[in-house]
Amino acid sequence: MQLHLEGSNAIKASADRVYSMLTDPGFVAKTLPDAEDVRVLDGSSLEAKIKLRIAVVSSTLRMRLTIGKTAPPTKATMTAEGSGSGSAMKITSVFELSGGPSTTMRWSADADITGVMAGIGSTLLKGFATKKVSEIFTSITAAVEAAA
Amino acid sequence: MERLFQASVDEVGKLIGLGKSELSILEDADVAADELLVSEYEKYLERKYNPEVPAVLARHNLMGVPIQERYGGRGARQLVESLFLERLGQTGLGVITFVDVHLCLGSLAVQDWGTQEQKERYLPGAAKGDVVFAYGLTEPEAGSDPASLRTTYVKDGDGYRLSGSKYLISNGSIATNLIAFARPADGKGVTAFVVDTSDKGFSVDMRLEEKIGLFTSDTSLLTLDDVHVDREDLLGEEGKGLSLAYAALLNGRIGIGSGCLGVMEDCLNQVRERTTSRVQHGKEIARHQLIQRHVAFIESNLEACRWLDYRAALKKDEYEKDLRNLALRADADRLSAVAKYMSSRSAFESADRAVQCFGGFGYSIMSPVAKHFLDSRVARIYEGTDEIMELKIASSVLGREFEAYR
Ligand SMILES: Cc1cc2nc3c(=O)[nH]c(=O)nc-3n(C[C@H](O)[C@H](O)[C@H](O)COP(=O)(O)OP(=O)(O)OC[C@H]3O[C@@H](n4cnc5c(N)ncnc54)[C@H](O)[C@@H]3O)c2cc1C
Repeated sequence: MQLHLEGSNAIKASADRVYSMLTDPGFVAKTLPDAEDVRVLDGSSLEAKIKLRIAVVSSTLRMRLTIGKTAPPTKATMTAEGSGSGSAMKITSVFELSGGPSTTMRWSADADITGVMAGIGSTLLKGFATKKVSEIFTSITAAVEAAA
Repeated sequence: MERLFQASVDEVGKLIGLGKSELSILEDADVAADELLVSEYEKYLERKYNPEVPAVLARHNLMGVPIQERYGGRGARQLVESLFLERLGQTGLGVITFVDVHLCLGSLAVQDWGTQEQKERYLPGAAKGDVVFAYGLTEPEAGSDPASLRTTYVKDGDGYRLSGSKYLISNGSIATNLIAFARPADGKGVTAFVVDTSDKGFSVDMRLEEKIGLFTSDTSLLTLDDVHVDREDLLGEEGKGLSLAYAALLNGRIGIGSGCLGVMEDCLNQVRERTTSRVQHGKEIARHQLIQRHVAFIESNLEACRWLDYRAALKKDEYEKDLRNLALRADADRLSAVAKYMSSRSAFESADRAVQCFGGFGYSIMSPVAKHFLDSRVARIYEGTDEIMELKIASSVLGREFEAYR
């Protein structure tokens, strides 16, 4: 099942600063919500067990995240791929930064979900994914602003 | 707009012509339904009432869709109200139960049968969401036969005192006002009252959470222990409460029928997505003919019920313009019973077939179609059971002298 999400966030920090943090696996490792056993593998990737909770039901997926510095300091990509609890997921996202001194981060993500989780259906999954993505960006924004 | 809903809006638009303000109600309904999806599903999994429903509807100015504009509502015709409920029905019957009771059984009873003073007192609040209605007809000993209800009232100075129990009351523990039906302690005839749920003597005895579905809708057992009601809160004429109760149910049944259309639409969407992506025996299961039979069943029932519901809505609009016309009322009553009877059965069977198409995952409460399967069963029970609808429809054909429930 394929999902497409997109949105934008305002971050009170310069684009250079946001870019360097967002593409630093060590920083991403610290800001991922509901993540366990986070391991930075090298300068562009990390691994983590991510808990996805839907009301009373939760699944754990072991994910590998790979960051691509496509066009510093404005464009980066992040691929998250993994499986667990009978589901598998691959998310490819693109971030574009603009503006200053505050930065607007425009992002889009394409997800391919298979297995048990796909049965929930795209309409509901999109609702949950939107909620989850907003949690992740709130967490990243707060961390970047706190560090800036 | 959601694809199937857009098709309904287009068809109805061709039929009756939809104005700008009517289209804006439907666009708001489309957005609100999307917003409610996640919380409805989460609360269903937690088996809890969903407080987001009134909040989201109020935010989109949808708490008073059929309430006249002069009272702060959006003045929707019945068919527009039906489309609004059709879209909300896609999120499940939990949402529909809240709205149907608040609007069709509560607000419209006041709008159609209340005094000018009652309309001014309750309807602006109802349209904003400050007033939430519940409808108390059923009692522990009186369900299909409301004429046997036991809640009583006595005259008390300038008002009345009500005592009794009301069972299985939707919105019961969250309502600000209950339309309560009672008989005189020393006489005949049933009378309707608008009870303030914050009044002394009113209590929520039990929140009925042990249901087999419809968890996101509040259902309660209420006790009225000598609750004082002012004379101004007697609704309609004294002794004519049952007629008012049945008129409200006429509204309600069209609403339930509309909600069931939404259930079928969501079943169809879910089945389409699942069966065209799930592969067994080397091909998508949608390519197996026996799966296509389920798809055909849901689609045909949806189309058939759509027109029954729209026809009932059109008749109701005719009757609204002439509320004292008994022949029109009988016709609207018959058509609303037919629409509710067919749509509720079709929605339940569609959900059952959708579960079948999903296979083992369909049997998990996590599957969206299992939610419809559990929730939609109630539509064959409340606001008149299947059997009562059958008796009502048959006697509308055979004549009143054949009314089997007399
Ligand atoms: C979740 C839920 C929410 C509800 N919300 C409300 C609400 O907001 N307000 C409210 O007032 N009520 C509400 N109800 C009550 C509902 O309207 C009644 O349950 C329904 O009318 C049936 O009444 P009963 O449960 O007493 O069943 P009974 O009347 O005892 O019926 C039992 C069975 O006997 C059959 N039967 C009864 N009489 C006849 C007959 N003459 N001929 C053939 N068969 C007959 C019925 O069809 C049924 O199959 C709700 C119910 C539920 C489950």
